[in-house]
Amino acid sequence: MTVTTTAPQAALGVLPRSDGSAKYSHAGYTLTASVNGPIEAQRRDEHAYEAHVEVIVRPAAGVGGTRERHLESLLQSSLAQLILVKNFPRSLIQIVLQVEDSPENDYVNTKLVQASLNLAIMPALVQTAILALLSAGVPMRATATATAVAVVHQDGAKKTVVDPSPREVETARSVHVLAFTSHNGLLLAESEGDFTVGEWDDVYETAKGICCRAGPAKEGTAMVLDDEEASATDMRQFLRSTMESKVAADLHWK
Amino acid sequence: MATGHPVVLPGETIDPSLIPSHPKNPLRLGPGLRHIPPTDIVPTVAGQLITNPIKNSMWIEYNSNRYIPSPNDLILAQILRSTTDFYLCTLSPHTAPATLPHLAFEGATKKTRPILQPGQLVYARVALANKHMDAELECVSSTTGKADGLGPLGTPTATSTAGGGCAFDISLGFARRLLMARSREEGGVGVLEMLAGEEGGGLAFETAVGRNGRVWVGSDSARTVVLVGRALQETDRGGLGLEGQRRLVKKLVREMR
Repeated sequence: MTVTTTAPQAALGVLPRSDGSAKYSHAGYTLTASVNGPIEAQRRDEHAYEAHVEVIVRPAAGVGGTRERHLESLLQSSLAQLILVKNFPRSLIQIVLQVEDSPENDYVNTKLVQASLNLAIMPALVQTAILALLSAGVPMRATATATAVAVVHQDGAKKTVVDPSPREVETARSVHVLAFTSHNGLLLAESEGDFTVGEWDDVYETAKGICCRAGPAKEGTAMVLDDEEASATDMRQFLRSTMESKVAADLHWK
Repeated sequence: MATGHPVVLPGETIDPSLIPSHPKNPLRLGPGLRHIPPTDIVPTVAGQLITNPIKNSMWIEYNSNRYIPSPNDLILAQILRSTTDFYLCTLSPHTAPATLPHLAFEGATKKTRPILQPGQLVYARVALANKHMDAELECVSSTTGKADGLGPLGTPTATSTAGGGCAFDISLGFARRLLMARSREEGGVGVLEMLAGEEGGGLAFETAVGRNGRVWVGSDSARTVVLVGRALQETDRGGLGLEGQRRLVKKLVREMR
């Protein structure tokens, strides 16, 4: 089975009642996020010097469990780094992420059971949250892009797979999720499985190539890249073009 | 999109050639920009970078839904309740209340001060906005002591005769365009002029636009209030241009008859 490397798609402002919202689909995942804030925080969440960032992940089916709490805690610590939390003391910035669709495993029927979320959904969660935050106009230090990379051992050869399918995640030796800020800083690195330092370095370079490409690919550099890299999506360019169309729609009167 | 006004994302570096320089005036940073000493100017929101070389200012033009108070903004506040010295008012849902001192009205003294009921709408100016404190409002100019059109809305006063009215929610960007001195030429909104003019058949109404994304429409006729409010909301949500606004006004007026 091959990965259907479809280009990511996004729509902003899909929920008119929230301060900001985004719908994002990529690699079989479809998510909707809403952002509200800065709003008044509950007493127990209130912090005297910074805003509390609350992330809620809702699975496609059933109620959230321990897996979702774990994803929330990862997202919360990453996003709190990006949002200028010091600008809004004693307030709350609430990010709700609803999983709408996740890719089916062709070998095992995973549909309609208690949604089992794994690391492979992490990039989609990060991307959706960032888009919704940008749509809400929440002041941020930088933007971020994320990707998932799996290391698969096939016929004795090692292979890195970008945006792995559920089957590939299952058979992979290790799965890695990396997120980079727009300043090329590593924001999030989560790994699962057995891997060596060398493998991780390969994964890091692959992910960095996808997340941190500087500007649109130029004619000259595109020739140097091999097929696999050239076909990979440029997340930063995608984020930028999405925001450009949103800004153009907002400022049509200019 | 004009090449002179680039789209920026949070954290991107601004090309130094775009930053205006003026021999005398200090550089003024508007919304959406932050200064990281000593020399970095970084956008914090996604939007269009606008610079004004004459005033030596720069800011990010963007649209959002959540109002963050800043001094001298004209806002439409709703009274929550009264305490001994001030009223507590809401500027936007789910945010901490702003304070409006009892004495911040025209001609108010300890003995004579306006009695406002919870739910009453007030057109006010943000006097003080500090991230560590609740915003403070005023309905009187502190230099002249005059109200200048600020004060409770929906009650007959010396300047206004409209009895009833209603507040409508709009986006912050649209509120900003309505508040522009020449909103038709600069902001591309002519819907109010059209409603009061030929296209709308000369409707009689008054409005108060709050920078916090609320607009109050007052008129003797409830139909007019609803019509004007709907016209404003549809212009905002549909992103209508001047021609679209003209068609909308004609359609709404026809439906009302």
